[in-house]
Amino acid sequence: MPDSLALLRTFFPPDLSPDYLLALLGPLLETLGLAFGAMTLAFLFSLPLGIAVGARLRGARLLVTALSVFRSVPDLTLAILCVILFGIGTGAGLAALTLYYTAAVAKVFADLLETAPERPVEALQATGASRLQIALYGLLPLKRDDLMAYGAFAFECALRASIIVGAVGGGGIGVELAGSLAAYDFQRASTLILLLVLLVAALDRLAAMLRRHPRWLLPMAPLGLVAAWFFGPQSFAFDHAIRVAGEMVPPELAPDALARLPQLIWETVWMALAGTLGAAVAGLLAAFAASRRLAPSWLRFAVRRLLELFRTVPELVWGLVLVALVGLGPVAGGWALGLHSFGSLGRLFADSLDAAPEQPQHAIAGTGASSIVVACYATVPLAMGAILTHLLFRFEWNLRMATVLGLIGAGGIGQALYEAQQLFFYREAFAYVLVTAALVLVTDHLGARLRARIHMPRGMRSPPRPACNALAT
Amino acid sequence: MFETMKLLRSLGATLIAGAALSLAACSAQEEEPLRVGMIPDAGATQVSIEEKAPLQSYLSDKLGRPVELIIPTNYNATVEAIGNGSLDIAYFGGLTYVKAHERYGAIPLVQREIDRQFHSLFIAHAGSGIGKLADLKGKTFCFGDINSTSGHLMPRLILKDAGLPAETAFAEFRHTGSHPATAQAVASGACDAGALDETVFRQLVEEGKVPAEKVTVFHTSPPFTDYVWAARRDLSEKDREAFSQALLALQPGQDDAVLEILRGEKFVPAENGSYADVEKVAKELDLL
Repeated sequence: MPDSLALLRTFFPPDLSPDYLLALLGPLLETLGLAFGAMTLAFLFSLPLGIAVGARLRGARLLVTALSVFRSVPDLTLAILCVILFGIGTGAGLAALTLYYTAAVAKVFADLLETAPERPVEALQATGASRLQIALYGLLPLKRDDLMAYGAFAFECALRASIIVGAVGGGGIGVELAGSLAAYDFQRASTLILLLVLLVAALDRLAAMLRRHPRWLLPMAPLGLVAAWFFGPQSFAFDHAIRVAGEMVPPELAPDALARLPQLIWETVWMALAGTLGAAVAGLLAAFAASRRLAPSWLRFAVRRLLELFRTVPELVWGLVLVALVGLGPVAGGWALGLHSFGSLGRLFADSLDAAPEQPQHAIAGTGASSIVVACYATVPLAMGAILTHLLFRFEWNLRMATVLGLIGAGGIGQALYEAQQLFFYREAFAYVLVTAALVLVTDHLGARLRARIHMPRGMRSPPRPACNALAT
Repeated sequence: MFETMKLLRSLGATLIAGAALSLAACSAQEEEPLRVGMIPDAGATQVSIEEKAPLQSYLSDKLGRPVELIIPTNYNATVEAIGNGSLDIAYFGGLTYVKAHERYGAIPLVQREIDRQFHSLFIAHAGSGIGKLADLKGKTFCFGDINSTSGHLMPRLILKDAGLPAETAFAEFRHTGSHPATAQAVASGACDAGALDETVFRQLVEEGKVPAEKVTVFHTSPPFTDYVWAARRDLSEKDREAFSQALLALQPGQDDAVLEILRGEKFVPAENGSYADVEKVAKELDLL
């Protein structure tokens, strides 16, 4: 541990030399290009798919459902597959993000267009309009605002994802960070982390703006197409991709790998559990200090900024740093999930406390109870439903992330996948991809059932699915 | 209805504008560069590519055409890039070459003289009390990339022959991904010991990037054949020949900047036959 602390010191000062910052311009552009390019393509592909489903064209629903299989494979795991098929660089990253977000966005677009109000649609039907005409002139305008709002929201998630696909070779600034950390070039690594934090903060602003004015998405489309052109796969070697894809089937695990599987799955689940529970305990404490009702404003301000700092650094970045510092394995992974989750759970818990219905709290306070008693007997019990819901959502998300953290050395199923892929044991690698998808699906299913049983007090709405979670399931 | 038309029209307009811009960007392209890749044996970042600028300009001078230098993020990606044609020529380690040859028929071109008699070094953190292989029992150990010859394959064989199979002999072992990372991990004490490429280690110590007093070399491997430059199967013989000649012509005293990047002094032609041993060891250790 003292060695780790000494190592931590070598992160300072960050390398801010003009030459280095200038050299980072290229990777930075790549990262932005990946996000803009992938999202534009994803929208272009999913809009017709959504319209086809809305128009009830035969087979369209089936296609969207088949596509949605890709959503249970975490985006970074898809990136690994794309690196095999497309070779190195942004092409693979772009392909992975496009595939993942097309699957996710098409499903939501289809759902939105299917649930358009009936009356106007019936009116159009009465004019003798075809199903396609109804979709284009009825459903699309009716649901336009929803489509746009959802677009802005998916865009935000893609931006975050584009930052990290580099960690497995998908191009952009993630490549630089993974490379600098791997080379123990920590001063440059901290420059990159600073850059990432600034980037995430700036993108959050942009996304918030887009949510308010979703129409601003339109002028970004040409930008996105240019980006997709530049950063897309330079050459797609069809026969190579077919050959390699052929090498992945049938998926197979050797007997000793099969015997190791329960241990690997446990490592991944442990990582998610430890990270989520640790973050929940610390987050609940921080939530009291960040609550509008319970804490003085100076404390609230300080704690909220602290929480913001922790959640601005993506799990994967925490992971890369921790793997370099404390070594490989699920402990590093658990910490990575925990530090990021602490930032997000702390904030969500605090908001849940503040959203608790007022009247019961006033009632208890009216008996002359101190504010601590009110908190213990009214605020916390009232907020518990929301807090548990957030906790379950976070666990589902963290399990997904735990499989991804393995790819960068945090152990579990992800690491086994990465090593098999690295050694060209593609049938084994594909088997691990399937295991990952199954694990994610089962967890999401269990999470949904548990969440359905959580009781919410009157006057309080069940919290919505958090940002990028919603894309995943 | 009008709103929809407007929406569709603006969508269409943006599409056309985007396509036009892309076409403009495309027509600005020049002569096809030769795409030369290197496994990231010393790290893979934009900056590490820029540090190799003298090599790039030397090659494009000698070949009379632009050369694009690419460092994929890992060894596997370099092999796949030769397979799918996104690289014309690549610099491989012994094991990655064997894989590239077996999978995609990569053609060996040239290698450094030292690659014919290459060594892995076993290094230990100063003060870890490690002085011989047997002392490694129960310690933490760092290998380089999982596909590295001098950083994983050969050390693993030596350890196995010494009765120290990695799976059971160590408290923990890991793959750092590159030789400098292994050196740094051992110097910082993150790993008690590790094994790596002799030329990388010497260069790091000479340049002061790894403090010499923090690491001790306690074992040297027997010689084996390592790094080689190889071409994708369908690269023209003219291009292969031109590239080989460019590296064979390197002269100490005259091309020192390039030779330093390549960590060598003299290049010689390479042959597939030299890798029979590496292949055998890889099969034996289930790495192939």
